[in-house]
Amino acid sequence: MFSKIAINNVKRSFRDYSIYFLTLTLAVCIFYSFNSIESQNAILELNKNKTFMLTLNKVIAGTSIFVSFVLGGLIIYANKFLIKKRKKELGIYMTLGMSKGKISKILIFETLLIGVLSLVVGVVLGIIASQGLSVLVANILSVDLNKYKFTISLSAVIKSVVYFGIIFLLVMIFNQFTISKYKLIDMLNAAKKNEEVKLKNSFVSVLIFILSVGLLAAAYTRILKTGLNADNSDLLVTIMMGVIGTLLFFFSLSNFFIHIVQWNKKIYLKDINIFVLRQINNKINTNFLSMTLICLMLFLTITLLFSAFDIKGSIDRNSAANNDFDASAFLIVNNENEDSKVNNIEDYLNEINFTFEAYEKHTFYSDYKLNIKIENLLSKYLSKQEQIDLEENYLDGEISALKISDYNSIIKLKGQNAIDLKENEVLVVSNYSQVNSALPEYMKNENIIHIDNKAYAIKNEAPIEESIKNMGGAKFFYLIIPDTFNGGLELEFTGFNVMYDDSYSEKSEEKFATLFTNFSEDKYRDINPALVIGNTKEQIKDRDNGMAAIVVFLGLFLGLIFIISSAAVMALQQLSDASDSLERYKSLRRIGVTEKLINNAILRQSLIYFLVPLGLAVVHSIVGIRAESGNFTFHYQSIIVSSLLLVIIYGAYFYATYVGVKNIVKK
Amino acid sequence: MQNILSVEKIEKYYGNKGNITKAIDNISFKVNEGEFLGIMGPSGSGKTTLLNCISTIDNVTTGNIIINNKNITVLKAKALEEFRRDELGFIFQDFNLLDTLTAYENIALALTIQKRDIREIDNLIKEVASKLEITEILSKYPFQLSGGQKQRVACARALVTEPSLILADEPTGALDSKSSRLLLDSFEKLNKEYHSTILMVTHDSFTASYANRILFIKDGRIFNELIRGSDTRKEFFNKIIEVVSLLGGDVGNVL
Repeated sequence: MFSKIAINNVKRSFRDYSIYFLTLTLAVCIFYSFNSIESQNAILELNKNKTFMLTLNKVIAGTSIFVSFVLGGLIIYANKFLIKKRKKELGIYMTLGMSKGKISKILIFETLLIGVLSLVVGVVLGIIASQGLSVLVANILSVDLNKYKFTISLSAVIKSVVYFGIIFLLVMIFNQFTISKYKLIDMLNAAKKNEEVKLKNSFVSVLIFILSVGLLAAAYTRILKTGLNADNSDLLVTIMMGVIGTLLFFFSLSNFFIHIVQWNKKIYLKDINIFVLRQINNKINTNFLSMTLICLMLFLTITLLFSAFDIKGSIDRNSAANNDFDASAFLIVNNENEDSKVNNIEDYLNEINFTFEAYEKHTFYSDYKLNIKIENLLSKYLSKQEQIDLEENYLDGEISALKISDYNSIIKLKGQNAIDLKENEVLVVSNYSQVNSALPEYMKNENIIHIDNKAYAIKNEAPIEESIKNMGGAKFFYLIIPDTFNGGLELEFTGFNVMYDDSYSEKSEEKFATLFTNFSEDKYRDINPALVIGNTKEQIKDRDNGMAAIVVFLGLFLGLIFIISSAAVMALQQLSDASDSLERYKSLRRIGVTEKLINNAILRQSLIYFLVPLGLAVVHSIVGIRAESGNFTFHYQSIIVSSLLLVIIYGAYFYATYVGVKNIVKK
Repeated sequence: MQNILSVEKIEKYYGNKGNITKAIDNISFKVNEGEFLGIMGPSGSGKTTLLNCISTIDNVTTGNIIINNKNITVLKAKALEEFRRDELGFIFQDFNLLDTLTAYENIALALTIQKRDIREIDNLIKEVASKLEITEILSKYPFQLSGGQKQRVACARALVTEPSLILADEPTGALDSKSSRLLLDSFEKLNKEYHSTILMVTHDSFTASYANRILFIKDGRIFNELIRGSDTRKEFFNKIIEVVSLLGGDVGNVL
């Protein structure tokens, strides 16, 4: 009997439930998709890289817990709206003599029904979406998906069911609590509740508005001046200023706005603008707290998505550069130890019984430090700030040097022609022009470098930007010196570079990858205490891709959840407000307002309501992204991708809300 | 005198084939400009249905309703909306004021939806407010007003667009007797001094006694008609009471 009532209730009030159901389903869908990542084809391809998998799983597990808290809050909030809407219905059950316990049973059954339904639909949608996601993942990880297969992650299904099961349980408990609190008279009269119009002093509202704008402006200038590198306490003050500014902004906005519009009679007295204005005023006024929250959440989302895509872009570009050799390793020289076995990588390899095959073309080199510092060399062309930047990024210090014979054998390995260097000449090999313009300026204006009181002519006109080893995106500054150089030299690294033969590349890759992994796990420290670091090209690529993947996943996951949560809250507020305002629309219709005007009013209300928090969030984000632009390079692609995602989801919710409100009002 | 409203043989059926209820069963009457017509009848008599049909909120099954030389029964939905907006003024039992708007804005809304010139709106509102003596409360919200004040604001809203016909549905239904009297005095004033044409539906004899002419309706038909003529309100009231007691009693006992 109760189950029948519950089922009928859900069927009948499907429209009320639709946004709730949509939100739940979307949440489950996203939750499943991201948790299913570990069993996806592309990731399985990468499975060789155990540490990456472990980090990814840990990161996703941690985020899942955080996200389930956000979703739990959202679902309870959405549920509260539903209960509020049905107060009268529940009140009628009570006047008919139904006990609160029985009403609770109906509600529990309803929650269960909706929960199971959305869970099933959500997981099914998630399974479909995750297939699309796996293509995206393959793209990010640059893995070829030649053998596509349909995958279902059982562990992700179980996880979704358990997490959402707990959330639904909480919702049920919450419902019991709410029901037991209600009085019958309030439930029956719920529909007639008086709208509380907060009358506020116009002068005060204008004052608060100006204060909020001032606070925001101050916070903006502070963050733009110091960036994110400011002291923690300083940053905290700025953030507090921003949050309070936002809060006061929404608190006073509508009142301030109404006074401005009332001034302009042309807008104020047009169509039913008076009505639209008052409706919005009312809503923003009562919901200023959730507005603030939504605005901040959207701000987080935008910066998160932007940063995620931006970091991925940077990683992609970096890994494309400076990884010319199939494998590359170097030994960090300990100058206090005279033993060549500890300092020369060739001797070291002999000692650990590593030999190169004949088809593995390789070359050894020695990497020295000169008695001349980068910042001294370029001092004339560096601004104060650039000098500080160099120091902060550890790009200062002694210049590295390579002898021309070593250098020639390295570039010959790459298939380039040897360079002839005279006794009084040097070559500049550096990508510092990416950091600032000091080096190109120097090379344009001066063609001589003094090292240990001896002048050397710079042979090349612009720096050679190809490195002598695999370095990822790191910056380097080498001077190539003649073999006869007799100034001060200190040996820093000894290293080797390898190029594979095409026909044995897989075999060689496996061999060197194992060797380098052994290096990093200190497997040979018992035989020889030297510290050796090595990377194959593939290893660097995988690591960079893994980094990019983690960053993008997190950004997407959190970003999507945040957008959905805030859009859902907005939609729920709009819909519940629409049913509260039903009488008003009826009155409008009675005094002869046309359907067209009413629809127009609904559209404008929804639009303004959705756009106000988004607008401020966008302004926040622009400032925020500017502030962190020290850490990022600006890429239009990432702006487009992140704003597209935001617009699609937010827009969909806006449209659903508009249609929903229209339907409610039409009734 | 010009004819404002003529209702010609209208019928309104509810229900389906097997079970038909005639809410209005062949009613015809005319209202001239400057008339104050009351429609009385017990609940279920069809008076609200009649008002809904005249006010274009509902449509008739057969017959014609002609307001200001326009046959509203043949108008399309969009034309009806415009007609309602421009030709009719409504006063409801529950006021139907928008609680989020001030009294001034409530009245202004009726003008802005007609796309009136901005400069004339303010003057029109002030004028109608002084007629109804609500100038002092214009800046207040409905929840700050008494029932009588609310109904006078609603009245001002109905009047400000200068409609051909004012339709009032139980205007005193939610008011105490003092407020009722005040409101009806304003109605009388509007009718006598400004020649507004008013059609008022009520079941209250006292309220009805302010009208010039009263139609009594029972079971969807016109049962009786009373014309005030030169009677004082007291005399007219007594006549109404007589008819009402007839109406209320069993038909068998009366005839």
